[in-house]
Formats: sequence, structure tokens, C-alpha cells
Amino acid sequence: MERHIPLPMLILAVLGFAFMLMPILVVVMAGLTAGEFLTFPPQGLSLRWVAAFLQSDKYLSSFFFSFRLAVMTMIVATILGTAAALFLSRTGMIGRGAMRAFFLSPVVLPGVVIGFALFAFFIATDMGISRTIWGLWIGHILYSTPYVIGTVGAALASYDTSLEEAARSLGASPWRAFRKVTLPNISQGIQAGSIFAFIVSFGQFEVSLFLSSPNSEPLPIAMYNSLRYQFEPSAAAAGIFAITLVTASVLLTNRLVNIRRLLERQQAGG
Amino acid sequence: MTEIAATTPAPVKSGGLGLRQSQFKWLLVVPLIVFFCIFFVIPVGLIFATSFNPSAIGQVAPTADITLENYIRFFSRSNYLMAAGRSVVLGVVVALVTLIVAYPMAFVIAKTRHPGRNTTLLILVLAAMQLDMVIRLYGMMVILGDNGLINQMLLGLGLTSEDAPVQLMYNFLGVVLGLVQFALPFMILTLVGVIRGIDPSLEEAARALGASRRRAFFRVTLPMSMPGILSGSLLVFALSISSYIVPALMGGFRVGVLPIHIFQQVAEGARFQFGATIAVILFLLSAGAIAIYLRVGARRSGGLA
Repeated sequence: MERHIPLPMLILAVLGFAFMLMPILVVVMAGLTAGEFLTFPPQGLSLRWVAAFLQSDKYLSSFFFSFRLAVMTMIVATILGTAAALFLSRTGMIGRGAMRAFFLSPVVLPGVVIGFALFAFFIATDMGISRTIWGLWIGHILYSTPYVIGTVGAALASYDTSLEEAARSLGASPWRAFRKVTLPNISQGIQAGSIFAFIVSFGQFEVSLFLSSPNSEPLPIAMYNSLRYQFEPSAAAAGIFAITLVTASVLLTNRLVNIRRLLERQQAGG
Repeated sequence: MTEIAATTPAPVKSGGLGLRQSQFKWLLVVPLIVFFCIFFVIPVGLIFATSFNPSAIGQVAPTADITLENYIRFFSRSNYLMAAGRSVVLGVVVALVTLIVAYPMAFVIAKTRHPGRNTTLLILVLAAMQLDMVIRLYGMMVILGDNGLINQMLLGLGLTSEDAPVQLMYNFLGVVLGLVQFALPFMILTLVGVIRGIDPSLEEAARALGASRRRAFFRVTLPMSMPGILSGSLLVFALSISSYIVPALMGGFRVGVLPIHIFQQVAEGARFQFGATIAVILFLLSAGAIAIYLRVGARRSGGLA
């Protein structure tokens, strides 16, 4: 390993990573165990719980419900978030920072409160979407768009606008200059942002709590409802599919944008 | 992308999407502003308004009847005051523990020069952060439960007996461990940015002037990470007091914090007005922490949040 890192620091960091990753590893093991539940030492591997998951109506339908919801969320969050990021990167107006903070705020404000507020709003206005996929969709867009703004904003911060201005001065229409010059330059940032939006929606629990019903139940809610009463290894098997999906998405993001640089840009761009 | 096409008027010669003087670039942000106003500002405002209405079971929409009775009830019942206190204490404890666990991890990530290794570590952090909390808590419960892996191990070693397992969850400890698990990636990403921004020559100078490695770290690197430590802790505090899922699963509803009370009032009691009151108090606590976080200089720290 790197020689300039003191050994005590390294040991503490390894322990920290173990703490952070152990539960995820345990879920994978629990989903692949041969026994009725996970014991120590493990009883050997089998695919029986994966098979049980694939045959279970409850988890499979929630899995696809979450997937559909995440795709719907991703589309709207990407469009709204990209447009807003473009504006934020191009405006010099006072209050730009405040507007950015406002758009990013749902990520850190209590999801239960926002979910409750939307739930009450849907009922009070008689919109009739309080416990349907449409209500969930709106809540998830609120929580996913900030990630698109952050990621596309980072891509825009490293993009030289004079390229687009050059295209304009050579006679390209604004739309054409945008489509042919700017868009290709930030498209990977947009793709990465949309992947983030997808994962955030797929794993969203807090906002969904008030907005879901047994007929429209995302996977995290379905898993929560069963976990309250008993440990089902088939829930862990469902978890394995979710873990695979998230890991694949993060790896794909890393192919699109350099994650290291994305996180650094975030710091520079504020 | 059609959205952008539709909202970008083309023919103005001096204007356009890319040029600073365009007065039409506003149109890009209008859809999101409208969305946020309708589905964020108004609903939250509605909750604020409802919290000042007299309690009426089943009544959702706000009325013109203004009263402070819900707030008086909240602040005069020890039950709810203790829940608020518990939430705050929990947030502070979790922020401290998360900081202690995250700092060495962030330090190692920040100081790892090998690009591939560095990216791998960041991917691990990001994947853990993005993974659904329910799944991570399932793992925590399998490890920490009464029949969990740790208790099985202790039993196997003959350190405990079958009928007296070590209580690692369904109590305050379990909730803290769960929340640290939840908040760790946010803290790491905040700290990595700050630690990486510290000029290594400062520590080298201290070393050259005769400071031991440990002394150089405690006198130079650690104090210079203070902005990250402060903003990371505030962020973790805000995230911790807001969490419903962690106290619900790791505390088994025995650790009654504010989010749990909101859900009970509304979903189980249909008491919208009092639920809204608790929601407003939680919202203000969390927003207050975030406001300080933004002032402390989120600009100098990283993280997707």
C-alpha cells in the first residue's frame, strides 16, 4: 500500500470499510444460504431463495413496480434537472447560489415530512393520486432531480462555453450550436446524472412511506413490511438483485464520468 | 431534450442559449421552479398552516381556525419533548461516532495517489451510499439481532448463554449503529474533499521543523480539516434526525424519535394537525442544521448532497 499513510490510520480505515460493507456482504450471503436463515458458520450455498424470490408474487411485482417508477422518475428528473443546471451555469444573477441550494434541499430535508406534506396536499386538493404510482412519481422526482443538477452542473463547470460561442459566431443557430457543440460535451454528465436519478428513486424509502399502498408498493417498502415481522431469505435474494443493479449503475457511471473528478468538481463548483 | 428545444426561442440574433445576454435562458429553469412551487413549497406550506388548526380527527385540509393548541400540547407533554430531545441527542451522538469512523477512511482515500485504487475506494463508498437503506439494515439486523451472527459467535465461544443474548439492537445502541451505517458515506465524501485540499507541504514543513508524525497530524492536518468536520457533522445531524427507517427497524419502535411520532399520529391516529406540528418542528430542526451547514462553507467540501 501507499507508504505515506501512517499504519494506525490504515488499520482504522480498513475497520471502517469493513463496517460499511459488511451488511451488504451479509445480505448477499443470506440470499445465497442453503439453510432456513443465515447462521455462523454458513451452511453452504444454494439458489433456493433466489428461486423463491423469482417465484414470489409479492417481491417480484414490487421489483418491477420500483423499476418502472425509477424509469419514469429518471426521464422527468433528467429533463428538468439538465435544463435547470444549464440555467444555473449560465446566469450571473444574484441569488443563484440560493436557488441552487433550494433545488438541492429535498435531498437533506426529512423525507417523511415531504412525503406527509405531499400526501396531505393530494388529499386536500382532491387530486386523487395520493396512493398511486403518480403520487410516488412526483415525490421521487423531487428527490432525484437534485442529483441530476449536481452531476450535470459538474459537467458544465468543466465545459468551455466559448466553444458554443464560436459555433454561434460562425452562423449556427442557438439550438444548433447547443445540439452540435454543447450537448455532446456534456452528454456523459447527463447520462451519469440520469443513472443517479434512477438509483435514488429505486432505493427511495422515506418519501414513499406515506405515498404507497399495497397496490402500489415499491421494493423498499415491500421489504420493510416483511422485515418488521420476520426475516425472509427471499427478501435478501431480492436485495441481491438490487445490489447488482446499484453496483452496475455506479460502475457504468464511472465509465461515463470520472467519479474522482466528479466529486472534486463538486467541491470546486460549490 | 425536446423540452430545451421547446423552451429556447431561436431567431433572436444576439441572444441564444449560450450567450450571457440572452433574456430567454430563464425559460430553462421555469419548469423546475413551477414543479418545486406546486409540489414542494405549497405542500410544506400546507403542513405549516395545518399545524395551527385545532385538532380534528380525519380533517386534512387547513381551515381558517387559528390556534396554538398543538404547539402547547407538544411542549407541555413530556412524551413529545423527550422524543425531540432523543432525536437531538441521537443526531449529536451519531455525528460524533460517524466522524470518528469516517475520518481515517477519508484520510486514506484522500492520500491514496494510485488513481485506480483511489477510484475503487470511491466506488465502494458511492455504491454503499446509493444502496437502498432497507437492504443495508437487513444486513445489520442479521449481524446484530438476538439470534444474529455476533450473538451466535459469542454463544459458540461460550461467552453468553442461550437465554441471555447481548442486546445489540432494538435499543439506542442499535439505532446509533444503523444511523452511522447510513451517514458514513456522506461524511466520507465531505471529508475527502477537505483533506485533499490541504497543501501537503504544510505537514512536510512541520515535519522538517522537527514535529513527530503524530504531532504534525494533530497540529496541522486535523485543525485544517475543521471546515469539513463541521459541515460533515451538521449534514449527518440533519440526516440522522430525519430518518424513519433506521429507528423503525433498528429500534423496533422502542426508540421513539420525531419521525416515528409523525407516522403514528397521521397513519395510525389520522391526527393530521398534531402530526403536522411534529413535522414542522422536525423540519425546522433539520433546515436549521442545513442552513448552518451552508454558511459554514459547503463550498469547501464535496459530496453529492
